[in-house]
Amino acid sequence: MSGQATLKEAGLTALLSMVLALPLIGLETVEEQGGLTLDTRLLWVLLIGAAVFAGRLGLIAWRSRKTVGTSTAAARRASALGETMHGIMPWIAGAAILFAVIMPFLPFANRTVVDLATLVLIYVMLGWGLNIVVGLAGLLDLGYVAFYAIGAYSFAMLAMHADFTFWMALPFAGLFACAFGVILGFPVLRLRGDYLAIVTLGFGEMIRIILLNWYHVTGGPDGISGIPRPGLFGLEFTRNGDPAFHEFFGLEYSSMYRLMFLYYLILILALITNWVTLRLRRLPIGRAWEALREDEIASRALGLNPTAVKLSAFAIGAMFGGFAGAFFATRQGFISPESFTFIESAIILAIVVLGGMGSQVGVVIAAVIMIGLPEWFRELQEYRMLLFGAGMVVIMVLRPRGLLSKRNPTIRLHAKKAGAMR
Amino acid sequence: MTQRQTQKPLLNVEHLTMRFGGLTAIDDLSFQAESRQITAIIGPNGAGKTTVFNCITGFYKPTVGMLTLHRQDNDYLLERMEGFDIARHAGVARTFQNIRLFQRMSVLENLLVAQHRTLMRASKFSFAGLFGLPSFKAAEREAVELARYWLERVKLINRADDDAGDLPYGDQRRLEIARAMCTRPAMLCLDEPAAGLNPRESAELNKLLLGIRDEHGIGVLLIEHDMSVVMEISNHVIVLDYGRKISDGTPDAVRNDPAVIRAYLGEDEDAEVAL
Repeated sequence: MSGQATLKEAGLTALLSMVLALPLIGLETVEEQGGLTLDTRLLWVLLIGAAVFAGRLGLIAWRSRKTVGTSTAAARRASALGETMHGIMPWIAGAAILFAVIMPFLPFANRTVVDLATLVLIYVMLGWGLNIVVGLAGLLDLGYVAFYAIGAYSFAMLAMHADFTFWMALPFAGLFACAFGVILGFPVLRLRGDYLAIVTLGFGEMIRIILLNWYHVTGGPDGISGIPRPGLFGLEFTRNGDPAFHEFFGLEYSSMYRLMFLYYLILILALITNWVTLRLRRLPIGRAWEALREDEIASRALGLNPTAVKLSAFAIGAMFGGFAGAFFATRQGFISPESFTFIESAIILAIVVLGGMGSQVGVVIAAVIMIGLPEWFRELQEYRMLLFGAGMVVIMVLRPRGLLSKRNPTIRLHAKKAGAMR
Repeated sequence: MTQRQTQKPLLNVEHLTMRFGGLTAIDDLSFQAESRQITAIIGPNGAGKTTVFNCITGFYKPTVGMLTLHRQDNDYLLERMEGFDIARHAGVARTFQNIRLFQRMSVLENLLVAQHRTLMRASKFSFAGLFGLPSFKAAEREAVELARYWLERVKLINRADDDAGDLPYGDQRRLEIARAMCTRPAMLCLDEPAAGLNPRESAELNKLLLGIRDEHGIGVLLIEHDMSVVMEISNHVIVLDYGRKISDGTPDAVRNDPAVIRAYLGEDEDAEVAL
């Protein structure tokens, strides 16, 4: 790029940023007697313009250095990195599971850490569930949180009205969510891409608004409280439980046990989700999902019924959302529609996309980044969201197809014979 | 029409008409295609050839007409069936003009998706498969064997575990044919299989198609522009122009039909006088 063109581009960028900055930063409301008045901060706008100008120049310089012949090399390096990453992936996954299992016993594991890990695992499970719908079947679902909500409310209401324990209600929570997945799926799955996304988004909001307004059933904005805690084969995690966990094992009472139990519970639920997903991927149904994602017309020409295939993905994804919802309800002990807003759907979808569509390990990494880090850096207060946004941008620039985007064939003809249906 | 024949044709197309709004893409087209024969549909661009395919394979619902496919003593009325049912029950498999493979799936996986129905039943709709029951494993081995057979036929056995999207163009064309054959069809519809192939590749394609016709006893319906393919391997050629059939017969008969020459080369005054 010639010097003049560079200057021109940087100038334009700076101008654009100043236009944007003018209302956002250039105007300030000041409280005075008798109300608010506007104050201008033109110097700030100019400073921002200058900063963007310099930044843009730097970026152009950096890029031009890089593009001369090295871009293919960089791409090759990136793909080679992907290849090695790919080879050691089973080891990483094994190590991660091992770490997850012993984590609560490690010296740094205090209440906060275990609690945070539980939260991350909820999102891992939701990510894995949504991965079936978005990553494998390629159906953009912006209302996944609806199934999470249905799972949570199913358990809460079964517990309130029918005295169900967590373990009794868990299958029903999954079943109800699954049924809602089918009910929603029937009319909307003929839609594709953006249209499907809009309808699922609407569905997510509908469920939330119904929960909010159906006061005498769901408690409306007050939510449902006093949801029973889960027990381990009837052992309760309370000080005066009958029978109580700590008494049964002759331990000193500590509320830590309950947190650890919840942690292991969600770990097991998440691992089951993962196992089922990996298994289904190798079955005809999983291949049909991926085929449909790749080319719906070709799938139809091969005798796949697109509606049935999509519906199965939607229903199974919804089911896992429902399980996670039931767990969420029992962990919190209190649920309200507040917990199931659109932003939750967006975060779960971001986890799937960031992790690399269809990648199970990618979802874990993305969940740690999306949920773990913002909680971890709470001391940074409002800046953590800024960092969070910047991190997302960096990942999307460096790895546009997600952190781990390489796909493993579900069956092999040559070599690695063990890969064929273990 | 009660012309009782000794044997029903594999595909009987009667009075097929397809209108898109005011445009008549196919106009009262009737023809038949037999088993163990290669039937070619040729015609200038925009003659409606692909539309015929889309009607046969259920992607379009014809405006008028009856399409009967005869398979194992059953008659299937294609115009009343959903596209995926046509592929499943009537046994019509197809390839596409612009190749439609599952790009980010491996070659082998492409061929297994084609056997979805058999495998799905063997996996008891995933319940048996989830726990890896032996009956499913056996069915899967069988499916892999069928895939292996076709990969050997189309000379792609060495690339079985590569992504379909990574294959060169000619290989992708052959893979698409192999994938269609893995559905165990009664009729194979090929939309310009030789497009973009070099002479050597298109000679190989001829051999493959003749093999499919003779060894597997199925009917092949072919849309093709490459006359070296059409004239060499077809048993029966149908010529379309502006959605109408202008000629129908053996390759030699069609080649010398003045109506065909006129459609392809245009009319000039001398020719008109001569006719």
